[in-house]
Amino acid sequence: MNGFNNNFRKKRIGWLCSYVPAEIVIAAGLEPVRIQGQVEMVKEADSYMSLNNCPYLKNILDSGLQNKFKNLEGIVFTNSCDGMRRLYDIWTHHVQMPFSHMLEIPKKKDGNAIRYFSEQLHGLKTTLEKVFEVNISDDKLEKAIGLMNEHRKIIIKLFERQKESPPPYKGSELLALCLEEMTRPKDETTEKIKNVLERVEPPKSLKDKSPRILVMGNVIDKLNLFQMVEAVGASVVAFDTCLGLRHYSGAVEEGQDPIESIARRYLLKPSCARVPGFNERIERVEQLIQDYSVDGIIYSTGKFCDYAMFEAPVVERRLQNRQFPFLILENDYIWGDEGRVRTRIEAFVEMIKGDLN
Amino acid sequence: MKNSFQNIQAFLEKRLEKRPSGWDMFSKEMVSTFLRAFDESSKVVWVSCYTFPMELLRAFDVIPFDFEIACNILPTAVGGNGSSIMISAEKEGYSRDICSFYRLALGAHSQGILPKGDLFLTSSNYCNGKSKTNEILASYQGKESVLFDLPNEISKSSIKYVSSQLQEISNKLENLTGEKLDPDRLREAIRWSNRARSSYQEVNQLMKTKPCPWDGYKACLLGISGCLFWGSPLRDKINQMLISEMKERIQSGKLFPENYRILWFPWVPVQQTNIFTMLKENKINVVMVEAARVYWSEIDESDPFEGLALKALQDPHLGKADKRLKAILELTKEHEVDGVIHFSTPACRHENGSTRLIRDAMRNEGIAFLNLDGDMTDERSYFPEQTMAKLSSFLEIFRK
Repeated sequence: MNGFNNNFRKKRIGWLCSYVPAEIVIAAGLEPVRIQGQVEMVKEADSYMSLNNCPYLKNILDSGLQNKFKNLEGIVFTNSCDGMRRLYDIWTHHVQMPFSHMLEIPKKKDGNAIRYFSEQLHGLKTTLEKVFEVNISDDKLEKAIGLMNEHRKIIIKLFERQKESPPPYKGSELLALCLEEMTRPKDETTEKIKNVLERVEPPKSLKDKSPRILVMGNVIDKLNLFQMVEAVGASVVAFDTCLGLRHYSGAVEEGQDPIESIARRYLLKPSCARVPGFNERIERVEQLIQDYSVDGIIYSTGKFCDYAMFEAPVVERRLQNRQFPFLILENDYIWGDEGRVRTRIEAFVEMIKGDLN
Repeated sequence: MKNSFQNIQAFLEKRLEKRPSGWDMFSKEMVSTFLRAFDESSKVVWVSCYTFPMELLRAFDVIPFDFEIACNILPTAVGGNGSSIMISAEKEGYSRDICSFYRLALGAHSQGILPKGDLFLTSSNYCNGKSKTNEILASYQGKESVLFDLPNEISKSSIKYVSSQLQEISNKLENLTGEKLDPDRLREAIRWSNRARSSYQEVNQLMKTKPCPWDGYKACLLGISGCLFWGSPLRDKINQMLISEMKERIQSGKLFPENYRILWFPWVPVQQTNIFTMLKENKINVVMVEAARVYWSEIDESDPFEGLALKALQDPHLGKADKRLKAILELTKEHEVDGVIHFSTPACRHENGSTRLIRDAMRNEGIAFLNLDGDMTDERSYFPEQTMAKLSSFLEIFRK
């Protein structure tokens, strides 16, 4: 008896950060699942983490303490941020879960960092092999790489379509699809994504002249923000977040050393604010504005995210220099203050509409 | 900043003329170092001295400037009103949820009171805010920002990763100064560092004496800001002065009365508070601080880059909290403390996230634990009455 949950077709491994390579988990015969907070109101976690900690991580902790992840065999944590490191500490002390692993992700992306990350990935591979009594061969890794590359390719195609006017998909619809892709078995979701891709007609609710909004920031795994934007007659044409464009950008090179190729792809994909280089990220935003004919940007971040609190004002200043509409919205992860946020979104969209007319 | 530092320097010089003291010598040299950063002809390297192996900088003709430490002398210079500087950063959109240390530095930049830097080095450990601030400040000055990335594990591969970064930084320092790294000079810096490490251990050993012959508050500031001098003969000199002063106090019996002994961590507030006055009034001595612990092994001078990489990786704030917990528990035993105080500054998320684990570990050992909330340097977030109420309750535990 291994102490793991055996009800699912495959054993499921949770992950919290876009830098965790799904390929290695899949090659181990396991199902990678992006984990989301499961509670409406954080209770217990407040006595483990201070009030000034990330609400997303606290929700995850609370969910763990309440045994809401019983369908998971384990979680791969990362050193994404200070909060995540501390979550891992508390988790390993107080949450009952058979397996947890800390994956060290460099904050640099040069040759030395890629080499170091490759070694970390070898460590993850060996750990999964040992704990789950499986063999992760290069062939299995190649297959998993192919599968994930295919998924990314289709999702990116969906995003590419959003450059059209009007965009063919609602932002909330795309986010829901990405969420499904990250939380359901890959073979179940491939066909569904392809079907969505084949749909050509935009939903009737989307008008040609709706303001086109780009959402950027970190973890947005609830539909609330996008639905609020859509409710006031604007379209979320793209989202460059931990669950959006930058998560799907870039393929793992096939036919090379699989682990090294995985390391290279993950470190070289468009970075999030944890990595130095905000100038590079601002250039990316400027490119996205052009590519998606964006009229305004909403920078959405969970409260107390240090990376975002430093970076958002820098991005804002740079874009405001060219009079580009930019709105920073903090959230408590569950969007409990929706009424207040809605008012700000309404005002923002009205301002853009005024500029467009 | 420059004027304030000149005043502090002049004041300390006078005091040192009258009576030499290790603490004054340290404070004066720190301020003098930062003043040299204002000299236009200096090659100035901004650096997080408490997370970067300073021995490497000592091998080059550069002036180290630590924006966190320098800026935290500022509130004293403006009459304890650090928020008057922070407000400049807040007006630029930096949230009050950001650590006050960094708002202070960003505000000081806005007010144009910081020296120029030629290279901006920082490390990934301790907190996310430090590296972001460094990058922003570097961009304001149009200079390169370099992150010294420290993994949370010690292995052959992490040592290799870190030492390769040190090699790259050394190359950047060569470009900046126009001088090649002199291996003998680096080895000499390491020798001085090892010597000072040894004398620092003696300082900590003397702190175990009952009553404690030195002030834990100062020990904490030296533990952090004193890192500026690792690799220089000055650090050993400061330690030697402190050792003789402590020995003299022990011999003469001129010591603070001591009813109870406290271990303090992780840092002390640098703004004016009534905490230490109250502790003193109740004859409670802070006899040791986590920041003063010598956590690293002697540096191998035959392989300087790997040796310095190992020193950096041994930082207890890297890796799991269990590593710190173990070290803190050892300190409580070695220094025979009656209780511990954890000073919790609101935006110190990497630190506050461990509070519960530390509290549980202390309780398991039967050690009185107080989590004391209060900002390090923003007087708007320090509430004296609340602090007094919490401290009073804590003191009751001892009295029982």
